[in-house]
Amino acid sequence: MTTETTATLALDEDTALAQIAATLRALPDAGLEDAEIGRETLFHDDLELESIDLVSLAGLLREHYGERVNLALFIADLELDEIIALTVGRLADYVAASLRATEES
Amino acid sequence: MAKTPTGDITTHVQRLPAGAAGGTAGEGEPPVVVLVHGLLTDSLASYYFTLGPALSAAGMDTVMYDLRGHGRTDRPPTGYRLEHFVEDLALLLDALDEHRPVHLVGNSFGGTIAAGFAAWHPERTATLTMIESEPPVAAWAGHIADGLAHARRDLVHDEAIEWIKERYGAHTARLSRNAARILQTTTLAEDVPAGRLIDDDLSALRCPLLAVFGGDSGLSAQVPELEAKVERCRTVVLPDQGHSVLVEQPGRTRDLVLDWVREHHADRPGVRAGAVG
Repeated sequence: MTTETTATLALDEDTALAQIAATLRALPDAGLEDAEIGRETLFHDDLELESIDLVSLAGLLREHYGERVNLALFIADLELDEIIALTVGRLADYVAASLRATEES
Repeated sequence: MAKTPTGDITTHVQRLPAGAAGGTAGEGEPPVVVLVHGLLTDSLASYYFTLGPALSAAGMDTVMYDLRGHGRTDRPPTGYRLEHFVEDLALLLDALDEHRPVHLVGNSFGGTIAAGFAAWHPERTATLTMIESEPPVAAWAGHIADGLAHARRDLVHDEAIEWIKERYGAHTARLSRNAARILQTTTLAEDVPAGRLIDDDLSALRCPLLAVFGGDSGLSAQVPELEAKVERCRTVVLPDQGHSVLVEQPGRTRDLVLDWVREHHADRPGVRAGAVG
């Protein structure tokens, strides 16, 4: 097993939100370059993301934050109606909490 | 994003090795599970957020990929017969240097591809799981030809997409627009029903078969025939469930697949039953 050489510092929810918004705007084929993205923005109805876009997002988040941020596991634990109601803010909270949990462990 | 050359196209593949998503890797050589998605509106994402992480956590090497024309895999204008899809899978396993017999799981048309692979590459197939799916026999070719002709006729109209948007929301409308683009820019609708078939007696399917259906889906009418024709066959019908078994009952589907793969992997050396969780 390899260990990560650099640890990502814990970050607050607002910073996570800004980073996720930037990642979404850069997402290939999703057409979000000029999208307004805030805490209440819905992945499903507002951004009209296809689930394959979320796979791309999962890969980018893993590249950025490391294995601790696992979007596949996060979403796999949600019910279908929760996935449909998923906001960018809720994902930001998850990212911040995942990194904080790693810091403390 | 992982892109792998497979013959004349590049295939988007996502692998979750055993234990990568948490859980334990188990002992001995892990089973390999390959997940094959369905037609037009589908992609590997249907597994990435459902079965994939659970299989990996349960100690299984998990492979998900986008079919040609779908998701982030290339979309050539022609070449959509069943044998093209089956050959893509064989080339993908070669490219991944994966030579163990694999446990195939296919949803809808993905199950038809998986059955074609099991029939034409029996030495590479450990078991076959078909979710809401038909094997590639002549009757299937008729059903899929009708369905594709219908989709191509209806989805070209903007009003149809608008109707879908009002009734099912923007997301489904986007999926439908994408499906229409596949149908308009490729020969998929003509090719899929015109491909290679297997004999009606299903004698080509020699590996163990798990077939899962929704009780409200017409496809569940195949149960008696499958049980009569396939020697090692298990069928499961989920009551009050339509065609979207994988998306609407991911937990139940996951448990069925986990039990199935464990059961058929258990007789291999170095694997302790119940050691994974």
